[in-house]
Amino acid sequence: MGSIVLVVRLVLADVRRHKVQAAMLLLAVTVSTATLALGLSLRGVSDALYEQTRAATAGPDMVALSGDTGPAVTSALASLADDSEVVAHHGPYRIVYADLTTRDSIASPVVVHGFAERPGTVNRPLVTSGRWVRSGGTVLERGFATALGVGVGDHVTIAGRSYPVVGIAVTAATSIYPWGAQIGPYGGPGDYTGLAWMTRSDARTLASSRDLPVTTALDLKLRDPAAAEAFLDAHRDSSLRVTFRTWQFTAEQDTVILGNSEPILVVGSWLLGFLAVTGVAALAAGRAVEQTRRAGLLKAVGATPGLIATVLLTEYLALALAGDALGLVIARLTVPAIASPTASRIGDAVGPGGATVATATVLAVAVAVLSTLRPTLRAMRTATVTALTSTAHRPRHRPWLTALSALLLLGLRLTARRPGRAVLQACSTATTVIALVALLTLYAQPERGYGLDGSTALPNLRDEHDRRLTLTVTILLITLAVVNTVTLTWTTAMEARANMAVARTLGATPGQITAGLSTAQLLPSLPGAVIGVPLGIGLLWLFSTGNPAEPPSSWLLGAALAALLATAALTALPARLAARRPVAQTLSAETA
Amino acid sequence: MNVSSAVVRAYGLVKTHGQGQSRVRAVDEVDLEVPQGQTLAVMGPSGCGKSTLLHLLGGLERPTDGEVWVAGRRIDTLSERALARMRRRSVGFIFQAFHLVEELSAADNVELPALLAGRSRRQARRRASLLLERVGLADRARHLPSQLSGGQRQRVAVARALANDPLVVLADEPTGNLDTAATLDVLRIFEDLRSAGQTLVIVTHDERVAATADRLVSMRDGMFVDDTRLAGSPTRGLGGLIGLGG
Amino acid sequence: MQDAVLAMLAKEPSHGYRLHARLRHSLGPLGEAMNRGQIYVTLARLERAGLVVCERADRLPERPERKVYALTPAGQERVTAWLAEVGWPKPDLAEFHLKLAAAAAARLADPVELVAAQRRELLRRLREAQQAALAEPARSGAGLLLEGVVLRLQADLRWLDACERAWSKVDDEDEGG
Repeated sequence: MGSIVLVVRLVLADVRRHKVQAAMLLLAVTVSTATLALGLSLRGVSDALYEQTRAATAGPDMVALSGDTGPAVTSALASLADDSEVVAHHGPYRIVYADLTTRDSIASPVVVHGFAERPGTVNRPLVTSGRWVRSGGTVLERGFATALGVGVGDHVTIAGRSYPVVGIAVTAATSIYPWGAQIGPYGGPGDYTGLAWMTRSDARTLASSRDLPVTTALDLKLRDPAAAEAFLDAHRDSSLRVTFRTWQFTAEQDTVILGNSEPILVVGSWLLGFLAVTGVAALAAGRAVEQTRRAGLLKAVGATPGLIATVLLTEYLALALAGDALGLVIARLTVPAIASPTASRIGDAVGPGGATVATATVLAVAVAVLSTLRPTLRAMRTATVTALTSTAHRPRHRPWLTALSALLLLGLRLTARRPGRAVLQACSTATTVIALVALLTLYAQPERGYGLDGSTALPNLRDEHDRRLTLTVTILLITLAVVNTVTLTWTTAMEARANMAVARTLGATPGQITAGLSTAQLLPSLPGAVIGVPLGIGLLWLFSTGNPAEPPSSWLLGAALAALLATAALTALPARLAARRPVAQTLSAETA
Repeated sequence: MNVSSAVVRAYGLVKTHGQGQSRVRAVDEVDLEVPQGQTLAVMGPSGCGKSTLLHLLGGLERPTDGEVWVAGRRIDTLSERALARMRRRSVGFIFQAFHLVEELSAADNVELPALLAGRSRRQARRRASLLLERVGLADRARHLPSQLSGGQRQRVAVARALANDPLVVLADEPTGNLDTAATLDVLRIFEDLRSAGQTLVIVTHDERVAATADRLVSMRDGMFVDDTRLAGSPTRGLGGLIGLGG
Repeated sequence: MQDAVLAMLAKEPSHGYRLHARLRHSLGPLGEAMNRGQIYVTLARLERAGLVVCERADRLPERPERKVYALTPAGQERVTAWLAEVGWPKPDLAEFHLKLAAAAAARLADPVELVAAQRRELLRRLREAQQAALAEPARSGAGLLLEGVVLRLQADLRWLDACERAWSKVDDEDEGG
């Protein structure tokens, strides 16, 4: 018991003394676990939302569609309803392919479902505002209406005729907007299409007045919804061209819009986690000497190596787990907005699943352990007496660096002394550049809107969503990279303060010291920026489907240069602050 | 303005540390002139303000009040940058803790001030090997400070202080971390400097180091309490020291 | 002085001038003040005490100096006794201490001033000894002797520091009370 009290007391004292470091670890872990949890939860949340919409709208287990018309089709579809597996059905009903234009001249393909004014037991769209269809009026699917910016009371023109929008509804029978058309006209492929409902007679009139393509559909409720695939297999080799859509297929189709979100978030969380490790490792390295000395003190009063390791690790683990919890809460709060970029589904998002929580926690623990492993091991291994008299470890001589000017000499010797930190800085820069490349690539893609013939009057929600997510992840990455760079420079400056003070006594100006420290930090960034560009392109290639268009090389060069310039500016500030410290004070502190 | 041949001058020099109740006058109304070629020792118990005085004279700290002149130029009003330039040209520092750059070899350490002053690599190298030769460490030029003994490190530091031919060398307890033999080595170098006409200010609490000076100033609580010329006084012969009559 | 001269003869009989040279060599710069007359006076005293005998050497007729000194058995005994003797050359601190006390009591002089003057004097001597020591090549016998002188002076100076502190305090108390 006593040792637990001791561990807790030491940990609390340490956190209190190093508030900034604690805050940074917390922030880094929170951001990376939140992103990871989000990425991993998307699919589950999308499924949950579909499930809730399905429950609320008596969603069919199966929709049978045929691009052909005529009595043969109708009777063939109707005969499906007689199958013993079918417990209830809706239809057959008409699906009319048309164009819809709003008052603001936004045009989009639309499918119009002809429904009874009093919905049956299967496929009862849930009206979220206004009322259900009546003669002369249309109801728009909510995701579609939101994209169009249309509400109840507005008028829309469908196939040249104006209809008042009497209601907004959601359904689980079709996929989310813009995949309202389950199949295209005449059973062919469909374009990005919205969904609207009319009365049966209005739909019939619409189809016949303009001779529009029509698909006949039948919604089925099965005895065993899970056996939808088996039912489908039993009826597959019918002589008629009938397309079946199981509810599982529709739910799966919902996640297509999230196709890139998942890798963006998951890969983003890896990168964020990586930056978190580099940042915290930089801080931990900066405190290595102090930690080693403290370990020596504890050993001197009889603490076992195990206790010392426990104290060091407990602090980081506690902070990482707190960040993990915080990240999961943030993920839980933001997931509805991110998992459902359209308004086509209703319901509450569920919290991250057990697997997600476990993975995020593994990430948090990995960040804590990876970033503190080295100092912890060193503190445990170092002999007590050595630890008590410990100063920075002895540098090796690197004569090839001698042939440089005094200014660069100072900066480079600092870098050469801490190759690990140079690598951290390079990684930090590379990660930032990777994110920038990803962002630029997404912006360089040709945009195909959801409007008529790919018009961008109706924006491509999926691309928008991807861009927004990538932008957010990139901003988070840049924030962490900025914190890292400042931390690394400050740590280096603090460690180099004795040498810098000596250089000042020899007549180096504060400006020269600043330049030296800044250069020391900037140089490892250079290869980082250079490597980051191909790495970013490679990473995108790995996760993208098809052949993404590459952004112009001037953009990529600009991104790399911007990263370097920002690094130079960021390193100059802490370096300048450090260079301003009074020399005499530093020198006497070093002697004491 | 008072025209004087002194290399280093200070008038009414005051330096206070801390605030309010804990305010300490580390240097309290000190006047000082060090003429060209003089070796001045400042003695006193630890905490008497002698190190602070040295820092003020070399422009490492700024006085709370009073003036400091180095080489005919008032330095307490200079910018940090100008102070750095002044140190580069006119002042060489030697510290108790040596304060060598651990990453640099002995020769690199000695070259550093010359490089900072903008001399060419070759000039700096030549000057460094000359100086290391002068302090008897020509064969240790490639060694890192960690591979040298305390006395050797301090000799490297002395060579470094001389790299830019400073007008004045300021030494802060230069033998404080050294044993007797190493102390004698450093004092021999100081003796050489003295006879070569180098102006030297040594802060020390070691009587034996102080006794090598031409002039000795004693400090207590930030003030000068005694100022003695040691050089040129009538000598009664060394024999007197061991009771051999002359 | 007598003992040192006797011990120098223990190895072999010697001329006075050679004795002088050997003594001066051992003392280094400190022996410069010692003249040959002192040696002859000492030898004469030792001869009277029966510790050395003087022999005339006729082998070197061209030299004006013909006296060679050698130890007698009594002299030999005295040398052995001297080497075995353990002693401590007493520094005369009491006198200065009493001087300060007397000056303070009679208000004849400021003890702090006396200490300062004494200090200046010792420092000048220290400087001389120090410079002589630095001029000596490393590991010379005379250098070792000078080192002893320097260390003694250093000890004296430290004692003077203690005196100064003590007497300054007395002054302060007087002024205060």
